[in-house]
Amino acid sequence: MNVRAHMSMLFHLDKCIGCHTCSVACKNLWTDRKGAEYMWWNNVETRPGTGYPTGWEDQDHYRGGWEKNWVGIELKLQSKPKAIANLFYNPALPELDDYYEPFTFRYEDLFNAPESKHQPTAVPISAITGDPIDIESGPNWDDDLSGSTIYAANDPNLEGVSEEVRQQMGEIERVVFNYLPRICNHCLNPACVAACPSGAIYKRGEDGVVLVNEDECRAWRMCVSACPYKKVYYNWSTGKSEKCILCFPRMETGQAPACAHSCVGRIRYMGVLLYDADLIKWAAEGPDDEMFDRQKEIILDPFDPAVIKAAKENGIDDGWIDSAQQSPVYKFVKVWNMAVPLHAEYRTLAMMFYIPPLSPVVSTIEEGLVRLDIPRERVDFELFNSLEKARLPIQYLANLFSGGNEEVIEKILRKMLAVRIYKRRESVEGIIDDATLAMVESADTTPEEIEAIYRLTTLPTIAERFVYPPYHREMAAEAIYGDPLARKGDVGFGYIMPPERGP
Amino acid sequence: MTHLSDGQRDTRIRFSDLVAQPRRVLTTPTWSAVINKGRAYSPFTLNVEELVPWRTLTGRQHFYLDHENYLEWGEHLPTYKPRPDHTMLSETEISANEAQGRLLNYITPHGKWSIHSTYSENIRMKTLSRGGYPVWLNDKEAAEMDIKDNDWVELFNDNGVFVQRCITSARIPRGTVFVYHATERTVGIPISPLRQKRAGMNNSITRTRLKPVLMSGGYGQFTYSFNYWGPTGVNRDTFVYVRKIDKPSY
Repeated sequence: MNVRAHMSMLFHLDKCIGCHTCSVACKNLWTDRKGAEYMWWNNVETRPGTGYPTGWEDQDHYRGGWEKNWVGIELKLQSKPKAIANLFYNPALPELDDYYEPFTFRYEDLFNAPESKHQPTAVPISAITGDPIDIESGPNWDDDLSGSTIYAANDPNLEGVSEEVRQQMGEIERVVFNYLPRICNHCLNPACVAACPSGAIYKRGEDGVVLVNEDECRAWRMCVSACPYKKVYYNWSTGKSEKCILCFPRMETGQAPACAHSCVGRIRYMGVLLYDADLIKWAAEGPDDEMFDRQKEIILDPFDPAVIKAAKENGIDDGWIDSAQQSPVYKFVKVWNMAVPLHAEYRTLAMMFYIPPLSPVVSTIEEGLVRLDIPRERVDFELFNSLEKARLPIQYLANLFSGGNEEVIEKILRKMLAVRIYKRRESVEGIIDDATLAMVESADTTPEEIEAIYRLTTLPTIAERFVYPPYHREMAAEAIYGDPLARKGDVGFGYIMPPERGP
Repeated sequence: MTHLSDGQRDTRIRFSDLVAQPRRVLTTPTWSAVINKGRAYSPFTLNVEELVPWRTLTGRQHFYLDHENYLEWGEHLPTYKPRPDHTMLSETEISANEAQGRLLNYITPHGKWSIHSTYSENIRMKTLSRGGYPVWLNDKEAAEMDIKDNDWVELFNDNGVFVQRCITSARIPRGTVFVYHATERTVGIPISPLRQKRAGMNNSITRTRLKPVLMSGGYGQFTYSFNYWGPTGVNRDTFVYVRKIDKPSY
């Protein structure tokens, strides 16, 4: 057992309102710079939709992630020998138009425009060339556009959903959508790290954050192609790749990443997960339908004395073990079995987790009255026994999260519904009858667990949502520089040495 | 209720503070939220926690308004009312002969991206919302009008003109054209091909009408107070002609 610690984020999609405050917080903090205008380390997508960059999940086109073959697993982008042969050839790279051409406005014209018979206006210009442009795309182009035949209908996750249901999803009465906030997944088996010819990308030992060493990066951009989530970006101004750094300077000082901290819907949770690094290969090479089960298996129980002993032997601080025991992410992922990673089938072992969203009930009009469109004998528990009636098809969510495994998603949604129904009976009717208890049991949960899930879902304080371990940066600084204050004030994104570029 | 101002009596807000960023104000007895110690604004917390009666005839919240003007206009209960016929408004008669276009009901609800006109035209929000103030149309209706997603459209009637790009969506019912309200007239506003002037903002095609029931007064909560209760401009909803245009100039 080779125990390591990982900082993980959990997104409760049932609570996301799609306000993009996270995106703006991240943008203002990290990518408001020349060359980074088009980068959104955190973005929020409307689903079904095509996302940003457009169609990023189409791996036949972008060739991101890993695929299983006779040697085990290999980058979908290219094998190792091919990587040398094709060092100067990277056709799977997304182009600027796959993201969008960043734009701004000539705001100064509002003050400086010459006298005219028309009121002045600030015309849109390209943020790269400065020339006037027609704005044809953006990082959130299909916002709230579910039901669209141009965008939503081309969501690859609709594969396997019947034609009839897909047609219905384009009608106003049946349109449904959810929001999907995305950051770098800080994977356990990161394709970007494996693809980098310069060895410039690494996964930090202490907390698993995946970082690009800007001094080592040589602009091969293989990381951009290899990342199946398209979360590594190329800065055209500095000639270096950049990505989400999980706000490590904030985490090291006990603050949540800017996206999580600013979240209006309070959908994000952060905490430590302990995992067994010896089993990463075993987990990444699993059969398609076992990907998530194996990933869950390598996440370890922080209360197990054997795990604690092995963690200490690996130099994991007591504070980290304590933090892992308090971790809300551990509870949702491993204890309550309610969370899944995005696209487990990419085999990168993504370490950011999602609780899938519930759907509104489909209603129908009968004798002039609205009633739930589910069999009468099942109306008591709404969708609990009729998940096939959920507006957001289970198949769709399964394609998005669990590599097509519907059973995983159904179990989670049942548990979420059990919590909702149980708490409603308790607070509205004031009585929990036997039928309700039977329903709770069939959702593989208990009243005690429901109460705990309810509290952590709806009533958590900021300290319960974000549980931070002590990073002890002062000790690291002391060990390296001899002076705990040697690097005070040094955190941030930038260059210690300016990048060298040709003329 | 003097305890509500405890610890806040020394609060000062200078002009430079207001320039830097918006500031929270003190808990006030005329609004209904307790916002001390950074608590988020939530209406009626003052009433519930401090046992302040609602400022209505009965001291409770009302859905039913038994004032005779409300009864007479059928406004005593919030119930469904069909949209008025466009001829009642007479805001489209002159424009009807002016250019081709389809007559649609124009609505301007609160925005997703702004609080009224605040902060909608900065580069972040513009980048997240297609670089403009998109006009939402039903996708099938748009196809009938030969309008594609992101085409330029011109909305016009006897009041004015609004020119923006459009989004075609199954989420908009037929017969309706939708624009988030309180757009600015500063960023990316082209010249209207029809009127040959700088196009307007969302309220350029609506006009203010006084709602008669709001002129009732002296009855419980219907008591005039500046910026609190009184006749408002009802200018969110009208009829417009919508037509596709080629790329306009600025």
